[in-house]
Amino acid sequence: MKKKAYLGIDIGSISTKGVIINEENEFLAESYLWTEGNPTEATRQVLHALREQLDGEQYQIVSAGTTGSARKLVGSLIGAQVVKNEITAHAVGTTTLHLDVRTILEIGGQDSKIICVENGVAVDYAMNTLCAAGTGAFLSSQAHRLGIQVEEFGEIALKAKKAAPIAARCTVFAESDLVQKIVAPVVFQGGVSKNAGVVHMFEEELGMPVLVDEKGHLMGAFGIAILTKEQRCEKEFSFDIADTEFKTREITCGKCANHCEIICVYRDGLLIDSWGNRCDNGAVRQQKEQMGK
Amino acid sequence: MGEIHKIGIPRGLMAYRDGILWREFFQQLGFECLVSPRSNKQFLEQGTARAVDETCLPFKMYLGHVMWLTDKCDAIFIPRMGGYSNREKMCTRFEALPDLAGNIFRDEQIRILTVSYDWYEKTTEEKVYLELGESLGRPRKQVKKAYAAAKKRQDTWLKTREKKQQKSLDSGRFKILLAGHPYVLHDECMGGELEEILKKLDAEVLYTDYVNRESALKKSYEFSKVMPWLISREITGASFILKKKIDGMILVSAYPCGTDSLVYDMLLRKMKELPMLNLTLDAQSGTAGLETRVESFIDIIRYQKAGGYGNQI
Repeated sequence: MKKKAYLGIDIGSISTKGVIINEENEFLAESYLWTEGNPTEATRQVLHALREQLDGEQYQIVSAGTTGSARKLVGSLIGAQVVKNEITAHAVGTTTLHLDVRTILEIGGQDSKIICVENGVAVDYAMNTLCAAGTGAFLSSQAHRLGIQVEEFGEIALKAKKAAPIAARCTVFAESDLVQKIVAPVVFQGGVSKNAGVVHMFEEELGMPVLVDEKGHLMGAFGIAILTKEQRCEKEFSFDIADTEFKTREITCGKCANHCEIICVYRDGLLIDSWGNRCDNGAVRQQKEQMGK
Repeated sequence: MGEIHKIGIPRGLMAYRDGILWREFFQQLGFECLVSPRSNKQFLEQGTARAVDETCLPFKMYLGHVMWLTDKCDAIFIPRMGGYSNREKMCTRFEALPDLAGNIFRDEQIRILTVSYDWYEKTTEEKVYLELGESLGRPRKQVKKAYAAAKKRQDTWLKTREKKQQKSLDSGRFKILLAGHPYVLHDECMGGELEEILKKLDAEVLYTDYVNRESALKKSYEFSKVMPWLISREITGASFILKKKIDGMILVSAYPCGTDSLVYDMLLRKMKELPMLNLTLDAQSGTAGLETRVESFIDIIRYQKAGGYGNQI
């Protein structure tokens, strides 16, 4: 009989991450690529990459979970058993690898978060609201403007003799309340943790070492894989789903003044899920509604 | 100006707190009342188009309601409320409401009915409404009776809500208290969306304005002796009354509310023992961000209770 494996996918605004773990929470496969505004296609590619790495003779995926901003969409596409927010997923993933962690800093493509941990479980969190200053998207656009690869950005920053001043109101972590909540050990993750310059500045500002895990960029996917494992709601997962045709369609409901935007998800032309309606008037009939009819 | 037969009441701002009293009062005096329908996105869009940028979301929504009423009634009731006492005042928005609406809808030439009172006048609600009734040409005796009936109607309504909330409190379910201004908590496009999310997460939803007003007001002086705002008092007092009976609390604010930003910060510091989430609602369509925040908060409480990750919640 094949050994059990668990799939976790974290679909963020900028990047999509996928991991497969075994019963012992060891990584069997991993993938990280750009979402490029198309979570469906990114997921397909992540699944292809994972399939290539996984020893299919030995392992069978028995459950799948999704997290990140497109978790609902992708969760419904791949038939995930667990669909959960990224804060819980990150906390679960990080506390599994770093048992004594007290503070998790996470800066992704458009989000920056701080999660406070006590006794291995999150007790509080904060995240940016509308402004994405200091996140990956900002660094990326600055790198682009300067004609530098974003991957080289951190190393170049470390060589600076003097920090370049940026308008003070734009520093996301300047809020004193948050700084007070930071207790060691601190783990820093998300795509921006790969920038050595940001890591250095965190250590200097906080006056404490900041740990960056080699797998830090995969922590959300890892966390959701663990959660799906613990759910013990097993159903064989087939990679064939990566070759299925998916379409999403956005309809504006005209039945009342709310004009709800309803997202419809189709697999092979058949509606499999829909959401976004505030009332039953906007509920999309599952059978009748078919693509192109 | 012609005779008034039909009075419009915009379903916004303090209508969520005192609307029953207003409607009953006018109906007792023999007027027909038209309350605008529940909030929707179109009201917000239309209201936003007429408002200055810096004003708050509930005010923009209110303008949408006024606009809907403009051609459907003879006059619109827009009260000017300053508050009845020094430590129980209203936000400046309410002190200017009829003037703001009158100016914004200058072209529509809406006829505004109002009451007007300030805390330093040492007046009472009854006096204020007696004056309004008499100014509408009704005899004093009838007005007095109308006010008493309206007050009674409102009391019944409040009691029903208190009872309903008591049932929720007595249930063994997972309880989340929504704290906020009534017009934020109960508006379809604001607190209404939050309630939906919480119900999907299998939480019992409680409200600060379902707590007995007098008790909440009294209790609020334990929170602050000098805080000047009535509604902030009702919010904080109710929070203090319920804090030991709930699993967590969400401080709901509509962008950019000045009183909330001051009061909620203080509340967060004074009630450290309770899990709290400070949530600011804005005009963004789509509730994905809201869902993430609320779901994370609920997870934190539930995993804490379950004794950590790895346990089913």
